[in-house]
Amino acid sequence: MLTHSRQTKKTGLFGLLLTLGLVTAAHAQNPDWVLPRTIDGHPDFQGVWANNSITPLQRPEVFADRQQLSAEEFARLQTKAQEIAETDGDALFGDGFLGAVLAGEITSYDPSTGNYDQSWMVQRELENRTSLIVDPANGRLPAFTQEAQQRMAQRPASRRDRPDSYLDLPLQERCITYGMPYILAGYNSYYQIVQSKHTVAIVQEMIHDVRIIPLQDKPPIADSIRLWHGDSRGWWEGDTLVVETRNFSPKSEFLGAGANRLFTERYTRVAEDVLRYEFTLEDASTWTSPWTAVINYTRSEDPIFEYACHEGNYALEGILSGARAQDRAEGL
Amino acid sequence: MSIRLKSVPSILALLALLLSVPPALAADNSIPRTADGRPDFNGIWQAMGTAHYNLEPHAAGFPPAPELGAFGAIPAGLGVVVGGEIPYRPQARAQQQANQADWLARDPVVKCYLPGVPRANYMPFPFQIVQSPETLVMAYEFASAMRIVYMNQAEFKAPVPSWMGHSLGSWEGDTLVIEVTEQMPDSWFDHAGNFHSESLRVVERYTHLSADVLQYEARIEDPEVFTEAWTLRMPLYRRLDQNMQLLEFKCVEFTEELIYGHLSKGAEHQPGTGSNTTPDTGTQP
Repeated sequence: MLTHSRQTKKTGLFGLLLTLGLVTAAHAQNPDWVLPRTIDGHPDFQGVWANNSITPLQRPEVFADRQQLSAEEFARLQTKAQEIAETDGDALFGDGFLGAVLAGEITSYDPSTGNYDQSWMVQRELENRTSLIVDPANGRLPAFTQEAQQRMAQRPASRRDRPDSYLDLPLQERCITYGMPYILAGYNSYYQIVQSKHTVAIVQEMIHDVRIIPLQDKPPIADSIRLWHGDSRGWWEGDTLVVETRNFSPKSEFLGAGANRLFTERYTRVAEDVLRYEFTLEDASTWTSPWTAVINYTRSEDPIFEYACHEGNYALEGILSGARAQDRAEGL
Repeated sequence: MSIRLKSVPSILALLALLLSVPPALAADNSIPRTADGRPDFNGIWQAMGTAHYNLEPHAAGFPPAPELGAFGAIPAGLGVVVGGEIPYRPQARAQQQANQADWLARDPVVKCYLPGVPRANYMPFPFQIVQSPETLVMAYEFASAMRIVYMNQAEFKAPVPSWMGHSLGSWEGDTLVIEVTEQMPDSWFDHAGNFHSESLRVVERYTHLSADVLQYEARIEDPEVFTEAWTLRMPLYRRLDQNMQLLEFKCVEFTEELIYGHLSKGAEHQPGTGSNTTPDTGTQP
């Protein structure tokens, strides 16, 4: 029952071209579709879901106030996207893909090594939406508070180009976490949901994390326990799974927010192959207002792979020993 | 409770209903069951004892570094290997002894590497099972290790080798049987250097002894390392602590100084020593 197209793409043996899928309202318009249910009667979200949307988190300014494009503009965008997809350039993750479509050229994700080529690419989903952010209406992140601006100004400058130690490198290159939420599209962006009566497990392929969401009444954990991925509680509101997460560690940063954020997710299966994922971030110490985004996860027939990041992190050793070699060459 | 059976057809209907009940339901009702009548393994489990130090019988021993004192000393254990000793090939036994003599430097979990199976199940950390008819997830607190168990999909071959292996589940009556294959050869079974090769095949059996205790068995086959298959066996206990839940033990950051410290600016110690002294990197917050 399972196909393994992702595997062949990752190995890059076949020089596969990127293909584009379309997430359209058509997915949701089969009138005969009935929401499947688990053996416990809950809405059944089980299976592997992909976040491969090309829609950027924030609306590019070129789209101004428009949440959607006209049919004609969208068709033009599709053509351009296909052209980009068929070039032999670097892989484009996250928002980079639409950026390339708009700019007409590819900006390398990683100019220093150039090792992310098209063989890393998965099928990206084209949606007629101009931003994942749905609130505020302009599709942009709210302004930072003064407190957040001061916090960011005090941050030490990045030392990535010649790190003094592993501490100078980002958390994902250290294989600690890609953050919560992990919303980068098209890069190990697969999630498997498994449901029991009282628990929902969300497996993230990225660094083999499992989020355990208890559905029963459970008091919050002590405020002193701070976690990279926060502490989650869930419940059903009609056919929507609502998950509230707090107790983030101050080191667990997401777009400038840290320990104070309240992260609320709403999962709704709107079609056989679309899981609507809405999330809201609230943090009065970081943003002047809460904000909400929607990602349409699409169904994946492929299994989750094990991403053993730390076990094979030769790159980190390579980067650090390269930096020390530079030091020695300069007599430092 | 009384049921009046008014007619032969209704008796037949009742008989038909009884016959259609899965055998599991008709059997032991003292254990928890899911809505589809299977034994319910949902919950948070943990092994006790000292199997994670050494699967074989062992007396207490010195800590791997003297500064750890009694906290790091190794507690004794009766052993969990059925029959007492692991049937190593002679050369493999020598390898295990060399591993054990240098375990702090060689043991993969010291570096926060994924422990593999069966070791993940008896690390001194809780793990949670989330069970559905088609799929089980086993989420381990240690190192955020996890595995997905595919039920009744015997034809699904491992896509690639992995640290936690490829788990295919099936039912034998009320016993959950999981075959685990395609594990990386790098993982160990315990701190004592017990090890395997890439030919490892593990067949696990989980059976309720009561609502809160499971019998856990793992049959280990690896003809490159062992003269015959052998079995380890131990109970797994439900964590009954009030409001029990998994927390994070993302140990990568606890091992970075050990693994990468020698590559920090100004570091004085040499690579490969596994030294844990903190160099003056000038970057500590």
